[in-house]
Amino acid sequence: MKVKKMLAVLMTAAMTTGMMAGCGSSAEDSAASAESNASAEAASEAGAETEAATEGTGDLAGTKITFLNSKGEIQAAMEEVAEAFQEETGIEVEIMACGAGEVPYTKVTTAYNAGSAPTMAMLDTTDIVALAEEYAIDLSGEKWVSECENSVYKINDKVYSFPFCIEGRGLIYNKTAIEDTLGRDFDPSTINSYDTFKALLEELKAAGMEKPVVLSKEDWSLGAHQLGFIYDTYDGTTAGSAEVIEQLKSGSLKASDYERFNQFMDTFDLLMEYNINGADPLGALYDQDPIFLADGDAAFWANGCWAWPNLEEAGASKDDEYGFLPMFLGNDTSDFANNQIQACATKQVMIDAVQATEQEIAAAKEFLNWMVYSETGQKMLVEDVAIIPSCGNNPNEALDPLGKDIQSKMKEGKTYSSSFIAPSDHWSELGVSMQKYLAGQSTREQLAGEVDAYWTAQQ
Amino acid sequence: MGTMGRKTGERIKNLCIFALPGCLVFGAVVIVPFLYGFYLTLTDWDGVRKVKNIVGFANYTAVFQDAGFWSSLGLTLKYVVISVVLVNAVAFLLAYALTNGLKGQNFFRTGFFTPNLIGGVVLGFIWQFVFSRVLVNFGESTGWGIFSSSWLADPNKAFWSLVIVTVWQLSGYMMLIYIAGFTGLSTDVLEAASIDGATGFQRMKSIILPLMVPSFVICLFFTLSRAFMVYDINLTLTGGEPYGTTKLVAMFVYEKAFTARNYGVGQAEALVLFIVVACISGLQIYLGKKKEVEA
Repeated sequence: MKVKKMLAVLMTAAMTTGMMAGCGSSAEDSAASAESNASAEAASEAGAETEAATEGTGDLAGTKITFLNSKGEIQAAMEEVAEAFQEETGIEVEIMACGAGEVPYTKVTTAYNAGSAPTMAMLDTTDIVALAEEYAIDLSGEKWVSECENSVYKINDKVYSFPFCIEGRGLIYNKTAIEDTLGRDFDPSTINSYDTFKALLEELKAAGMEKPVVLSKEDWSLGAHQLGFIYDTYDGTTAGSAEVIEQLKSGSLKASDYERFNQFMDTFDLLMEYNINGADPLGALYDQDPIFLADGDAAFWANGCWAWPNLEEAGASKDDEYGFLPMFLGNDTSDFANNQIQACATKQVMIDAVQATEQEIAAAKEFLNWMVYSETGQKMLVEDVAIIPSCGNNPNEALDPLGKDIQSKMKEGKTYSSSFIAPSDHWSELGVSMQKYLAGQSTREQLAGEVDAYWTAQQ
Repeated sequence: MGTMGRKTGERIKNLCIFALPGCLVFGAVVIVPFLYGFYLTLTDWDGVRKVKNIVGFANYTAVFQDAGFWSSLGLTLKYVVISVVLVNAVAFLLAYALTNGLKGQNFFRTGFFTPNLIGGVVLGFIWQFVFSRVLVNFGESTGWGIFSSSWLADPNKAFWSLVIVTVWQLSGYMMLIYIAGFTGLSTDVLEAASIDGATGFQRMKSIILPLMVPSFVICLFFTLSRAFMVYDINLTLTGGEPYGTTKLVAMFVYEKAFTARNYGVGQAEALVLFIVVACISGLQIYLGKKKEVEA
């Protein structure tokens, strides 16, 4: 009896400790391995220092760093870039994907709280503003800063992030579709006002293309990219957009009194009238939208150069003629908004200053430099990742027509670089307002009221 | 005295052996985060900054002034009531039908249970495809007006889409619990009722339903809590669209905390939600237990 009891107690005890150990061990193990990593790194760093003296450059080979990629469409290409980088330098970069519906900023914050922050994080400028001073290292001294002078974003005169790429937005057109429908040549530069654009739409309709416009219903597209034009076109600079946002916040400017808002709404109404998704605008599907454009069922899609992979998937080829028209605002043909398209550095890469080791930071810096200066890096960024590099020293030409169009427009000075900074929920909150308007559930006055209400609530 | 002392010692030892590990784990993964979460509601933290300023109960004031939160809580209540009723009705009927010795009933049981094995995220994507593509195509080819446009583009239909998918997912699971209840019914009582001449309906009303109360209590509890906390289906099926009209409260709270970066207010809203759900579930269990009868 007693033996049995003892046995039972023993077994329970064993199980309990097993359980506890089970709970504890993973954390301990990882902590232990992290420690041993750290000490190994420290050792190798020490080694590197002595070696550096003899070899010239620090030996970063074997360092493992992570890169949070928030552009889902370039995930596979970035992995190839990382592979090429590892081949040349021995530094291993793990490209972490940000899943569909996952907010990059949330992912980074969670990672920081969990103590597993990525060495490099690609984020929107808004996020960089929120994180930089506490979590990012100062990159002002990096050599590439001079190459990307026009695209770097400064916070209190310091550069905390590497401008990863230039992105532009406007009205994507399919030249072939327009010319086939009209039976004549189409010169995009002849369209430079609301009226000329309206006339073109009417002409297309008369020629048989009933609904030449594709409007996507995504809140980020409507809220950030379409409505965002009212800030970006204030005077075409980020500083100007900040100014108009200040005025909206203080309530001294009402959206309904703001000329750009009304011009934008006029154009948006026009787009809605000719929207191919018009019968059920909120039933639009983002993977169907590019098919309309690629098939030539429609001629315009209000979107940006990031849509190229979608277009390509929808059947467009790199030799096709696609390009951008500006989001027309009003009838002043000399207005920059009617002659230039918006293009700016959108994705910014910061390097973690809190949880990364010295060596990891050095490796991350090396990765950025490699993308800017090495031949392989330059070439891969443009040809495989298919982005428009923000650093002027990259000699490669974009391969896809949208990127090409933006590159050539930048050279001709036909772009404006405003990139408005808004609170992180701007796109979702006002995206909802725009969706309501798109579905005919609210009027222009109501939408203007919601824009006002959103901004005045930010104080 | 001596024996009593020994007994108390024994009891404490047993308690430690059997209850302590569970308590520790519960404390570590439930109580501590809960208290920490409560502490966060008193701060103005944005989720990432190192500094957390104590702001007292300002976040709670903000919760009460947040019209969006209350309307999404209202929508969630509506969703909960409808889906709890439908899930349990469907599950009960399925269970009833599948315990009567129907041919191939095991096959059907598996079939109805399977949706529950698919994760909510995948399920949402599948049904999104069904509602916005398959049904629309079907509507086009048959000319049925109800399917002519995507259900997910209309606030009302999008809401019902959520309900339909929830019922489809949960009723299989609840069916299993009801089946267990049915198989546990004492045949003596049912036989006695039949001999006394009870009709099928009378048997159902006076014998089966009262004896099935424990199953109802469990199923109601499961469906209530799952429906209140639903997020995955909401995210992937409607994403809160059209224009934010199907944003259930869990999603609203998440966005408040992480998209709007208003961690304190979001956490306070989560706490309010917790209290609401705890009260409703507690009340439901209390009332249900009172109705339980012995065979």
